[in-house]
Amino acid sequence: MSEIALSVNNLVVEFPTDSGPLRAVDRVSFELERGTIMGLIGESGCGKSTVAFALLNSVPTPGQIVSGQVDYPGVGDLLKMSDEAQRLFRWQHVAVVFQASQNTLNPLRRIDEQIRELATAHRMRDPKALLERADSLCRRLRLDSRRVLHAYPHQLSGGMKQRVGIMLALLLQPDILVFDEPTTALDGLSQESVLQIIREIHDEEGLTGIFITHDLGIVSEVADTVAVMYAGRMVERASSHTIFSGPKHPYSQALMNALPRLSGDPHLARGLRGSPPKVIGDQFKCLFRDRCEYRMEVCDQSEPQLIQVAGEDAQVACFLHGKEVERVSV
Amino acid sequence: MNTLRRFGVALIMIWMVVTLTFFMIRLMPGNPIFDAYQTLLQQGVPSQQALVQIHILYDVYPNQSVVVQYLLYMWHLLHGNFGTSVVYTGRPVLPIILAAAPWTLLLVSIGLTISFFIGLLLGVLIALHRNTWFDNLMSQLASIFHGIPNYITGFVFLYFFTVILNWFPFGNIYNPAIHPGFSYGFVASVAYHSVLPIAAYVFGAFGTWTLSTKSAAMAVLGDDFTMADRIRGLTSEQQLEHLVHNSVLPLFTGFVLSLGIMFGGAVFIEETFSIPGLGYLVATSTAQRDYPVMQGVFLVLAGAVIVANFLADTLYSRIDPRIRV
Repeated sequence: MSEIALSVNNLVVEFPTDSGPLRAVDRVSFELERGTIMGLIGESGCGKSTVAFALLNSVPTPGQIVSGQVDYPGVGDLLKMSDEAQRLFRWQHVAVVFQASQNTLNPLRRIDEQIRELATAHRMRDPKALLERADSLCRRLRLDSRRVLHAYPHQLSGGMKQRVGIMLALLLQPDILVFDEPTTALDGLSQESVLQIIREIHDEEGLTGIFITHDLGIVSEVADTVAVMYAGRMVERASSHTIFSGPKHPYSQALMNALPRLSGDPHLARGLRGSPPKVIGDQFKCLFRDRCEYRMEVCDQSEPQLIQVAGEDAQVACFLHGKEVERVSV
Repeated sequence: MNTLRRFGVALIMIWMVVTLTFFMIRLMPGNPIFDAYQTLLQQGVPSQQALVQIHILYDVYPNQSVVVQYLLYMWHLLHGNFGTSVVYTGRPVLPIILAAAPWTLLLVSIGLTISFFIGLLLGVLIALHRNTWFDNLMSQLASIFHGIPNYITGFVFLYFFTVILNWFPFGNIYNPAIHPGFSYGFVASVAYHSVLPIAAYVFGAFGTWTLSTKSAAMAVLGDDFTMADRIRGLTSEQQLEHLVHNSVLPLFTGFVLSLGIMFGGAVFIEETFSIPGLGYLVATSTAQRDYPVMQGVFLVLAGAVIVANFLADTLYSRIDPRIRV
């Protein structure tokens, strides 16, 4: 039986703007099964990272979680916990591999000092044990631990810093790992080695995690399930196999079409014009309609909701498929 | 090697300052030695005898060429001889400067340190409470005080606290009735006399430090590691420590440089409160065209800036691991 490690329910995150609250994340719900990695994809500004921050109740100010639950079975709703309990929850239960790990280390502290700080912050009596764990993790991540642990961040290369970021994320043995575009800022070679490390750990220990990226190639390599976000909404959710063999939502299709194929004519790749809208207030229309080639009348009249696609392990928020469902149910 | 090179550059700069000072103060209208010579002539002293008298009094000949005077001055300077005062006849310049320097050092170092820490505290607090009433109020206040020159603050304080309220003494840095020395009475008297000038200095300088700290701290708050620290579950104390440490670094150079610059910047405060420090000496010797004293004081002031520069460069590389020179 699969066990649920995280269940997000109707999460809404807003950022105040002069023209009203901007909905960065709108009624997003999903569940994460233990031992699986969920790929979270979408263009920049779709709310992927905001979702990740919300999982730790750390949405950058002035953003605010307006409603919803972030429930960790066995722990409870994070949003209802005390500040101190939330602080201890962070990194012990959910850790993050950041997009720009380059800059997520305090430039004035050596790596081992930062590990000691983590030990103090998380009330560990024996910082030495943590340093020993860091040492063995380093070796596993193919880092020269003696050099790296005594180094200042600026003395490490980008790829090394990203591996240090992974080491720090694994340090407290969290239940869930969030990878926030961990390979975006790296060169191709470092990207591949970071991915290989993540795959290795996933194969050996069965990581539970969320992998945020806009690189579909990477998602297909590491993710078990995929969720597609558009303008703060989740528009499609399916197993990795299902979505890559036949994306349902026109936006998912456009994302896949934009990807040049290794085999076949690279010119077949088609870019998607325009950019996602900034959403302020309630919407009563499909937010993708302006960029959609299947635009219908109904798209201007109401907003499609995420619904189960009949007979498939997939959910999609699009009227194209809603009709199918209706037809089936009639 | 690098330190050695910088040390060489510092020496060359001091030489240039000495040379420029020497010639520039001689371009100022008014020449005390020539005046004294003229006076002697008017009193009927024969010109030859007048020259000899001037030489005995001031150790220069009024008709000596400037270049020869410069070479003589440099020669003496290299032997640690700053010359003798023209106004306080026969008194060597060096002891005059050494007697004045401690007062300036006292005021500047205490004033600068207090204003720096007030600015650091306020700046960090403002950055942590962006767009609140505290930010609005304190940022405005800091800008206003940043804009008011310290001699104005000095005058206001002087008038209010000595003339109207009569809380603090006026003038000098200690009660002349007390014999100088490391006695309780003397130290207390100096402390009592220093309150107003230091306060004037602090009010003139804390705004600048507040604004610089605020912008430095806001930059650090926007850094990725600040966000990461929070997500890693570091305690508020640890996060604050990271914030302060990273915000102080960009201010450090300014702090050390200010120590140097403020030797001369205290001129107005020392004049306002009649404190016999270096700034006061600058003002009086310039007014009286006391060339040797002027040269000596300017040398010390410029030297302080150059030394502070040198210190800032050298020390910074020790406190910031990213910069190892």
